[in-house]
Amino acid sequence: MSISGVVLSIADNKQMLGLRYAEWATRAPSLEADIAAAAMGLDDLGHSRVLYGCLEPLGDDPRGPERESDPASLSALPYFDEPWSEWAQFVAANAILDTAFTVMIEACVNGNVEVLQHRLRKMLSEERYHFLHGRSWLRSGIEKGPLDEAWRQALEWFGPPDGDAAALHEEGKLAMGPSELKSRLEERLETKAPPMELSWKGWDGKRRRTKPGAIDARTFGMLRGLEEKRFAPAAKAQD
Amino acid sequence: MTEKYRRVSGDAVEYEVFARKTRGEPLHQVGSVVAPDDDLAAAYARATYDEERWIEMTIVRKDHVIALWSPGE
Repeated sequence: MSISGVVLSIADNKQMLGLRYAEWATRAPSLEADIAAAAMGLDDLGHSRVLYGCLEPLGDDPRGPERESDPASLSALPYFDEPWSEWAQFVAANAILDTAFTVMIEACVNGNVEVLQHRLRKMLSEERYHFLHGRSWLRSGIEKGPLDEAWRQALEWFGPPDGDAAALHEEGKLAMGPSELKSRLEERLETKAPPMELSWKGWDGKRRRTKPGAIDARTFGMLRGLEEKRFAPAAKAQD
Repeated sequence: MTEKYRRVSGDAVEYEVFARKTRGEPLHQVGSVVAPDDDLAAAYARATYDEERWIEMTIVRKDHVIALWSPGE
């Protein structure tokens, strides 16, 4: 996979993260947390726009027409396939996955691809507040299930030890490879990843995930603007 | 679902939020947030009051502010 594939995956994941955050804008435990969910959602949707905008200058846009009709063609993590039903899922995504995406963006900004060095830098300062929010809620203690799942998916998303991220690191396009990305994530979160064995048997390098599946039909329809049509007034008959 | 998280009514404290738009103007209070720690207060202040183009924003725990006099004194 080229660096464009990694950028597209960050973009798809941030788009989904933003949407899932926004779904909690009236369901979080406090008014402040509601507002933070809305603001972080807007940030991540904005970041996804910037990331999609990098694909053309990179000269290798991997997006094909199948993205218009097949939700399984998007490269977002299984964590975002369905809306979250528990606040703990929000916190685990906010602390672990959002930070994992930030760490990958750091690897892009500090790599040797000029367009990424310039365009992605501002995201790092905006992500600081997502990180503070996630880490603080994480320290308050959440259920182990969502936390372990978020860690697993983050480490899988960094890719196998001999995969594309490792090759891009060798080329200098990413300043970190999978093991450095993992260490950096642990360093930022001031905790070790829970012990787990990763199996690369079902690894889909294009989608950067091992589990099959896709986002729910309603969310996909919303992304494509299909949901909007349900509420549009009926077209006037031509005179 | 949210009954388990009673942080706002438990440990949370109030923080005053200050900001300014230019170097020439003093920091002034733009609002407040309630949070259980400094990190979350910073995230909440930024999320709640970031709609304007501030060049500086700070937060202060309200119980760290020393009042010299108050209205009616």
